[in-house]
Amino acid sequence: MLDIKNIYKNFGDLQVLKGVSTHVEKGEVVVIIGVSGSGKSTLLRCMNLLEEPTYGEVWMEGKLMTPPDPYLHFDVIRASRTYARLVSEGLSDEDAIKKIKDDDLLKEKHPKTEGPEYAALLKKIYDDNGIDINLGRQKMGMVFQSFNLFNNKTVKENITLAPIKIGKQRLKDAKKSGKPLDKTPDDIVSEANEKAMKLLERIGLQDKADVYPSTLSGGQRQRVAIIRALAMEPDVMLFDEPTSALDPEMVGEVLDLIRDLVKDGMTSVIVTHEMGFAKEVADRVIFMHDGVIAEEGTPDEVFNHPKNPRCKDFLSKVLY
Amino acid sequence: MDFFTNIANIMVKYWKTFLLQGIGYTLLLSLIAVAGGAFFGSLMALAKRSKLKILKGIVNAIVEVVRGTPVLLQLYIGVFVFPMIVPVLSSLPYIYSVAIVLIINSSAYVSEIIRSGIEAVDIGQMEAARSLGLTQRTAMLSIVLPQAIKNILPALGNEFIMVVKETSLASTFFVGELMTAYLKVKGYTYLTMECLVIVGVLYFALTFILSKLLKSMERRMKARA
Repeated sequence: MLDIKNIYKNFGDLQVLKGVSTHVEKGEVVVIIGVSGSGKSTLLRCMNLLEEPTYGEVWMEGKLMTPPDPYLHFDVIRASRTYARLVSEGLSDEDAIKKIKDDDLLKEKHPKTEGPEYAALLKKIYDDNGIDINLGRQKMGMVFQSFNLFNNKTVKENITLAPIKIGKQRLKDAKKSGKPLDKTPDDIVSEANEKAMKLLERIGLQDKADVYPSTLSGGQRQRVAIIRALAMEPDVMLFDEPTSALDPEMVGEVLDLIRDLVKDGMTSVIVTHEMGFAKEVADRVIFMHDGVIAEEGTPDEVFNHPKNPRCKDFLSKVLY
Repeated sequence: MDFFTNIANIMVKYWKTFLLQGIGYTLLLSLIAVAGGAFFGSLMALAKRSKLKILKGIVNAIVEVVRGTPVLLQLYIGVFVFPMIVPVLSSLPYIYSVAIVLIINSSAYVSEIIRSGIEAVDIGQMEAARSLGLTQRTAMLSIVLPQAIKNILPALGNEFIMVVKETSLASTFFVGELMTAYLKVKGYTYLTMECLVIVGVLYFALTFILSKLLKSMERRMKARA
């Protein structure tokens, strides 16, 4: 469902991610753990392109969300002028590709310098697979550490804003392309409101529909943030340390809601420091260290029989 | 006692010059400068955040020049230079060139206020909106700008009050606003102090009403959230 291919992320000279690849299956719950600064939040933010990866590709349901990365396509590399030059200098096919990859020789920002064939191939990959970034994001719900509810909107408006705006935009696009319309804009609004109330009922906050987020407690805010993401009916949910900014007594209510979602089969990627929770809900645990996946496996494998010394060290500090 | 009788007499005789012409032109100039400043100022604030380096550079240069030189000097340059560039202006009264200068001046200040307002809105607000699949434009218009405007309302109000007072500099070119009215009536009556008091009270009344209006607007926006 969600494919991460060889992601690198640099902030200036700082390398945060150094080649991360993973794949999230439908219905799978992946928990990412690791020390602060190991790149776990950055990895999550790269998944829905809030951070643009420096290299690498993100595929969502078979669609490419990032620009194509030439280093991931042998045929593109072979079409480049740099490759032609290296081969004419006597390097074998394998050595030339390796040298190009290792020394970062492709000028992917300037396809023209690598020849028209190279540029055409890159463009073809994008034309065949590329998807508008906003369309991709609509299928991914994101929950932030600091909630990020819209301060200028009521709780209900927070939940309905995106479904209404995007629903109306779709309607406009359909009208332009001459497709038959199955809804009026009013339908979209009333549907969104209905769904918002249902979601609020689910978390028991229906009486807070018309208040502003500033009047809610941290736990309530985070639960509203979660259902705001759910209102877009995403196929995968990304949780970025959802309980780290909460008072201890509110952690439980948020974890309960996430547990509920996961039980209903929601595909999820969760970055968290709650090890007990990670053990309980995860199908797979990823331990990140220094910008790479240092250990990966079932909760039992990672928590009870870690192989990587860094992972052992980390777990001995957090499990007490 | 003479003083107040003089004021009363002046008002009876010259009320049209002060109230109709003076306040009229002052309000007109202020409204044009404020509306134009708000409009072009917002555009300039957005231009400053754009990825186009040239656009950014031009806008930054305008802002620096406007902030770094006196308004009076800008008015002189405007009144003498604009008609050379745009020939139509040379056949029109000075007030057109004056209005253009005031718009440019206030745009520069407003753009800085709006930019700081946008930057003061937590980046998480934009990220949350984008993560839901909203476009940059929608996120800006429905989430970030409303919060930015709420935050900058006091500063914006200050700027508008400054603009009202800056229109007095236009009297250098005798365009008819309040300060021009003062010059005229003083010329007729030779009663300098009395005329100054009248004009002072009128300016104060204008800005006082404006600041009360802005206060009530601020309160209304604070009531929400």
